[in-house]
Amino acid sequence: MDILYLLIPFSVVLVLLIVAVFGWAVNSGQLEDLAKEGERILLDEDQVPQSSARKESSASD
Amino acid sequence: MHCAACSGLIEAALLKLPGVAAASVNAASARLSLRWQPARLALANVLSALQAAGYRATPDVAAPARALRRQERRQALWRLFVAGFLGMQVMMMATPAYVAGAGELAPDLDQLLRWASWVLTLPVMAFSAMPFFVGAGRQLRAGRLGMEVPVALGIAVTFIASSGALFDPGGAFGREVYFDSLTMFIALLLLARWFELGARHRAAEALEAVADGLPMAAERLLDGGGSERVPPEALRVGDRIRVVAGEAFAADGQVLAGQGWVNEALLTGESAPVAKAPGDAVVAGSLNLDGSLVVAVQRVGADTTAQGIVRLMQQAQSQRPRVGGVLDRVAAGFTAGVLLLALSAGLAWWWIEPARAVAVAVAVLIVTCPCALTLAAPAAWLTASGALARRGLLLADLSALERLCNVDTVIFDKTGTVSEDRLRLQRHWAPGGDADRLLAMARGLAALSRHPHARALAESGDAGDWFDVHELPGRGIEARDASGRLWRLGAPAWVADPPDPAARLAFGPAGAAPVLWLDLAELPRPDAAEAVAALHAAGRRVGLLSGDQPAAVARMAAQLQIDGWRGGATPQDKLAAVKQSQARGERVLMVGDGINDAPVLAAADVCIAMGQGAMLARAHADALLVSNRLMAVPQALALARRTRRVLHQNLAWAALYNLACVPLALAGWLPPLAAGIGMAASSLIVVLNAQRLAR
Repeated sequence: MDILYLLIPFSVVLVLLIVAVFGWAVNSGQLEDLAKEGERILLDEDQVPQSSARKESSASD
Repeated sequence: MHCAACSGLIEAALLKLPGVAAASVNAASARLSLRWQPARLALANVLSALQAAGYRATPDVAAPARALRRQERRQALWRLFVAGFLGMQVMMMATPAYVAGAGELAPDLDQLLRWASWVLTLPVMAFSAMPFFVGAGRQLRAGRLGMEVPVALGIAVTFIASSGALFDPGGAFGREVYFDSLTMFIALLLLARWFELGARHRAAEALEAVADGLPMAAERLLDGGGSERVPPEALRVGDRIRVVAGEAFAADGQVLAGQGWVNEALLTGESAPVAKAPGDAVVAGSLNLDGSLVVAVQRVGADTTAQGIVRLMQQAQSQRPRVGGVLDRVAAGFTAGVLLLALSAGLAWWWIEPARAVAVAVAVLIVTCPCALTLAAPAAWLTASGALARRGLLLADLSALERLCNVDTVIFDKTGTVSEDRLRLQRHWAPGGDADRLLAMARGLAALSRHPHARALAESGDAGDWFDVHELPGRGIEARDASGRLWRLGAPAWVADPPDPAARLAFGPAGAAPVLWLDLAELPRPDAAEAVAALHAAGRRVGLLSGDQPAAVARMAAQLQIDGWRGGATPQDKLAAVKQSQARGERVLMVGDGINDAPVLAAADVCIAMGQGAMLARAHADALLVSNRLMAVPQALALARRTRRVLHQNLAWAALYNLACVPLALAGWLPPLAAGIGMAASSLIVVLNAQRLAR
């Protein structure tokens, strides 16, 4: 059971790292328009996703 | 803005300044309207006073507000994640202490787990719980006891006591730690706030959508011929602009040249296009459907008709009678009660056993931390709004449910609300001719015209063979068929002599028989009569208020059995009528569409806009009826009552939980497990009870 003395602090550090990564993702705007990411694969490279322009003004959360 | 209660604080802070005549804040749209004397008070001072109160203000232009909202949304999401994710980890760390039997958990391992919990709780306290402390500080500075104060107090006391127990086991705070309950509590509260934030942002965004009606650029004609593209702000009165098909008008003005059909739905709510010829007035924001028009600019910017109605509406909305929320009333008494209880418990134990006095007072504060109480309202409102959304009624403002309960008068607009906004063929007859064959021909010819009467006929949209088509304003449309015969469709007096007085439209060969007579009428929506009957059955007064001809309004009212009706009403008349009802003590629910309904929608206690109505009316509505099924209105009123019942049950449960747990804390016996289970169970029961509204 001695390994717990290492694993518990280790898990705490890991958890804090995960929180930091999520914070970076939120603040760099990756979670702004989730529907757009799903639709992007259906569009050609030079096509502007139509929904994102519309959602810019009507996005809800 | 963090919650609806902030609006009162901002108003109070600004009204204290010398030179401020009036300040009113709309909580749903996060807008402040301020009247002050610039000579006595500079704008910078107003802004710094706002800053001192803890708020930031930006000018009312959409872009910075949108950036601010995005920032707010990201911040809220991150706070929620930090609290939720770390809360789960803390719970994992706390579990061994709960499940281990006596002596199974080595004391130093137990201490390590507590340390880990403390480290994980730290970010939650320092970052996620910040809004509660800021909000509580603001309420205290304003000298008001709101819900934030007991929440912040509970959080702070729990954390300090648990930290004290961790650093100094056996000290004044006892040896129990409550990190798991603490983080769970914060995460639950932030979740409720996250949903509230979503509803508030939706309302704010809908409001800004109004600005989208105006085009980004206008084509100004130069005196020497030629033209230039300029932004609408650069237009001056007297300029001439050209508006081609598909473009919106950038300013109010008068048509100088050209003919075309214009969609003024933004202004009137009527989707039927209106014909415009030289000399006619056009309004900014309406859409030119076909033809190219040259317009002399008469009013620009804030002077335009659309902006004038926007102003009227914003005024009406920020003066809406404010109904104090049930939670605000509970909060003040609750906070005072809890503080008194903790203080007297501490004093009592001071006499019995001084060493435990602090621990007991702290335990009382922890157990009364109003988790279920703060969740009670949002949980019930969210479930009810979900149930309404399935019936086609989208709530923009969750607290509208509370206002819906007290509604005793429902006022409908006519066109587009209780009636469908287009005409239908009621009856057709042709003395001495084959009515059905003529009707098929008439439908074909009608497909070539955009006139509302023609649109009502041309349902199939198949034109057939017609040549030399001419449309004569005010009369109708004429064309030659394949054999060269001239046919006319239009005003009865123009097509045949003498006209049949019962017909609204006629079709036939010019000056010859047989003539097809057509009668068009406005039809009520299929479930309008049922909805009115349901409202009557529930004991509500029902009224009909319309800008249409009194005769047409009377016919519709008789058809639907509505007693209180009024026709020929201007937006001001409608506003006055609603204000009159409110002065009699009635609570008014207004259902309407169109920009001319917008001010009256804003003044009513609750307003519902039809989904296909004008943008502006929708922007200010508490709710949006997207299904266009009017039965949703009585259903919403019934559901609002049930929601209030559930809300009261939830509050009663939260009180019961406190009544059961407070004696434990007073007796000095509150294990962390009991606090955690009690808090989770009470929150869960409150949320599950709210789920009953989903049916």
